[in-house]
Amino acid sequence: MAEETRQVPEVRAAATPAKHEKYPWPEKPALLSTSVKRLDGPVKASGRAKYAYDIKRPGMLFAKVLRSPHAHARVVAIDVGAAEKAPGVKVVLPWRKAGDKVVFQGDEVAAVAATTEEQALDAVRMIKVQYEPLPHLANVEQALGTAAPSVFEGGNVKVGAAEENGDLAAGFQAAAHVVENTYNTQVITHACLETHGCVCEWNGDQLTAWVSTQAVHGTREGFAKALNIPITNVRVITEYMGGGFGSKFGPDVQGILCAQLAQKAGAPVHLLLDRKEEHLATGNRPSAYAKIKAGVAADGMLTAFDAETWGTGGAGAGSGYPLPYIYQFPNRRRVHKDVYINAGQQRAMRAPGHPQGCFITEVLMDELADRVRMDPVEFRLKNLPEQAPNAMWKAYFPIAAEMIDWKRRHPTGDPAPGPIKRGLGVAANRWGGAGRGTKAHAEINPDGSVVVRCGTQDIGVGTKTIVTMVAAETLGIPMDLVTAQIGDSNFPFSGGSGGSTTAASVSPAIRVTAGRARDALFARIAPQLGAAPEALSVADGKISARGGKTVSWKDACKMLGTEPVAVDGEWEAGLSASGTTGVQAAEVEVDVETGVTRVKRIVCVQDMGLVVDMKTATTQIYGGIISCVNFALFEDRILDRNTAQMVNPDMEWYRIAGMSDIPQIDVRVMNQPERGVIGIGEPPAVSTAAAITNAVRNATGVTIRSLPLTPDKVLAALERAGGTN
Amino acid sequence: MAKKDPGGTDAAETVSRRDFFKTVGVGSLATSVLTAADAEAQATAPRAVGPGDVPIRLTINGRAQSLTVEPRMTLLDAVRNELEHTGSKRVCDRGSCGACTMIVDGRAIYSCSTLAIESQGKNIRTIEGLSSGNTLHPVQQAFWEHDGLMCGFCTPGFVMATVALLEKIPNPTPEQARKHLDGNICRCGTYVGVLQAALTTKGVARG
Repeated sequence: MAEETRQVPEVRAAATPAKHEKYPWPEKPALLSTSVKRLDGPVKASGRAKYAYDIKRPGMLFAKVLRSPHAHARVVAIDVGAAEKAPGVKVVLPWRKAGDKVVFQGDEVAAVAATTEEQALDAVRMIKVQYEPLPHLANVEQALGTAAPSVFEGGNVKVGAAEENGDLAAGFQAAAHVVENTYNTQVITHACLETHGCVCEWNGDQLTAWVSTQAVHGTREGFAKALNIPITNVRVITEYMGGGFGSKFGPDVQGILCAQLAQKAGAPVHLLLDRKEEHLATGNRPSAYAKIKAGVAADGMLTAFDAETWGTGGAGAGSGYPLPYIYQFPNRRRVHKDVYINAGQQRAMRAPGHPQGCFITEVLMDELADRVRMDPVEFRLKNLPEQAPNAMWKAYFPIAAEMIDWKRRHPTGDPAPGPIKRGLGVAANRWGGAGRGTKAHAEINPDGSVVVRCGTQDIGVGTKTIVTMVAAETLGIPMDLVTAQIGDSNFPFSGGSGGSTTAASVSPAIRVTAGRARDALFARIAPQLGAAPEALSVADGKISARGGKTVSWKDACKMLGTEPVAVDGEWEAGLSASGTTGVQAAEVEVDVETGVTRVKRIVCVQDMGLVVDMKTATTQIYGGIISCVNFALFEDRILDRNTAQMVNPDMEWYRIAGMSDIPQIDVRVMNQPERGVIGIGEPPAVSTAAAITNAVRNATGVTIRSLPLTPDKVLAALERAGGTN
Repeated sequence: MAKKDPGGTDAAETVSRRDFFKTVGVGSLATSVLTAADAEAQATAPRAVGPGDVPIRLTINGRAQSLTVEPRMTLLDAVRNELEHTGSKRVCDRGSCGACTMIVDGRAIYSCSTLAIESQGKNIRTIEGLSSGNTLHPVQQAFWEHDGLMCGFCTPGFVMATVALLEKIPNPTPEQARKHLDGNICRCGTYVGVLQAALTTKGVARG
């Protein structure tokens, strides 16, 4: 397995930093927090954007990967003879050798590069592999069973240390009511529309790779380590990429195979995975299970929380998640077990761990609220942490309640006649996010044009747009004078786009760099304006000397002669922060005869510090909510219980919402300009499923403690509760 | 979840996209293929060609193109790999996500599930044919205005599905628009902007 960075952990930093001394965010910005259309809209809407999948190089070959059909097996022999002789084949490259193990369906075994894609596909099928099938584990129940075969070195189960606070026995003593239940969430896959992969091309010992990645620098390092070449010999380019959601931080095995095939063939190679491979081998969100005993006092204060939790991140990968989520249990204990099964390994996925922890805690909260006969919002307000800039739930719950007209909520179980039951539910979210080391370069040219370079990447969230906005804001010029160049590891370092860290890393770096460029420009032209550099200012494309001349930006830049201003800068503290707060509410209709849930409306109150671009930020919130609607109702990676084969590795039975499944979504963005930039990728993707589940409970009177909320689960829960009406 | 069928679920349509697939469908996948001239006689006289490369002619965005492909090659792969029009995307590769949507003889189709060789003699329109120079088609402009795109990988397919909708129903109701766009999937979750784009675009001529 190639060395690579797979996870971007939740980053935490100051909730409200001290202001940056030299280049604080402007109090009356011209562009920041306005709605600016994304700059790459036209090139994407016209189909001209070139993704890694679309790269075509002279003489380029196509590659395909042979993968294990078994969940667990030992490779006895690999015969590539027939494949090597197949039409069009240039290179056959075994990834495993005799004696190696494969540990999930889809584990890489070998690869082929051929002149056409069809030839590569034919040839890969001609590789003969003899396997010795080994016992496998298809699900957590099998792995935890007493008769489970020992599949993983060091055991199938890894038990973590107990987390304990307070006095659990005293907590349960103080409880007037105790709820005991088991909750679970399913494994889902990232299902990026552009599959993982790349095009690799060698020029001597120099590798250029066009990769669908969330981290051009991290991927460059991954190639260098795996191929044992200097980092300086690798260039990774990602101009556009078709979705990653936490699964695309390194070259992966297919990237290394692609580079090696290209080297051996002496020709560029295109290796982008197909849909089935994407489901099997490029990451997933781990499952989560929690057996919980929780206590609440008669006055509605939480008293105790005792949980045994487990989950699977596949073959040898963890499954941790935060629990309890947000609400304060003064006495608590939790023990978590990572359970390994023969399935593809998990990777970070949109707020890793949080959707699971949120679902489990928020459903429990509604059950506890009912025990003390309190309104769910009122009950939550009693048990929230103290309000702080990064903990605004006490302020946001009432806003969300107002937006969805919470006062019309009936008690649990819609009393209305007929099969359609309506209900409302709420849930809260949090996320860290924060800025960190990012470097940038800026040039102001004598013709007035500006170039800003930064080795970040736009994973579809509008990074290029906010880079341009921040530079234009800082320089006091229109955006069309600024060209943002990103998505290339030859540009100054920036980290991977994960954990909602990109905006908070890149915006300060561009602010500082553009600020320095402006100051350098002032220093150069001040003598010609007959003023001190400190007396100059720029706004609306005009440079003014205090009490003196005003010249246009273009005329000022002409004074540079032939030598541009060129400066470097980097992320500095005081322009970004950490910790977001959000609250969502859901309105649903459940047909208790068919078990079908329809989400009618989601409202969302969400902060993210200083909003850079209101338009793309709002779009990200819509996207996060919709991804969590998928988690709530549709997505489920289903493995056959006997063979551990995925039964739905496609896009019809692996279900993702379509246009008719999308509810009305109302977003209230809470701008916090005093905090600096944070990030918005993860937070809205956390709590929608929990809000929907609570709304379904409010509608039907039955609690579904397992995602996704498929009709069969709804009907079974209604039947257990004694009929549908 | 709705059935994916972007082109032809409207009641007024006489032949739905599903029926279209039925008529050209899998029967000819194995060895028998059609030339344009044979189209009328397809039920009675299939002519076997292949499995090696065969010459075909496609009319794409109004231009006749000659190419040589294996009979098994899809229209999507022919356009992407042979003609280097890479706007149409291969995502699910089995007619469920719509990223490959093209408009063939006025109807939105899944080009990943249509053979190139069967597309001869038809009027094939791809995303590349919509805009001229830097002037965007009104639907493309509306996607931009309403931010109906993020990573952009589903966008060409959604744009083509929206064009097909508006050429048939210039002022759709939200219900009509949702139904016609149900054959496309966006993973980033840009549906809100896409729907606004479909409902606000004006001036698309009936196809």
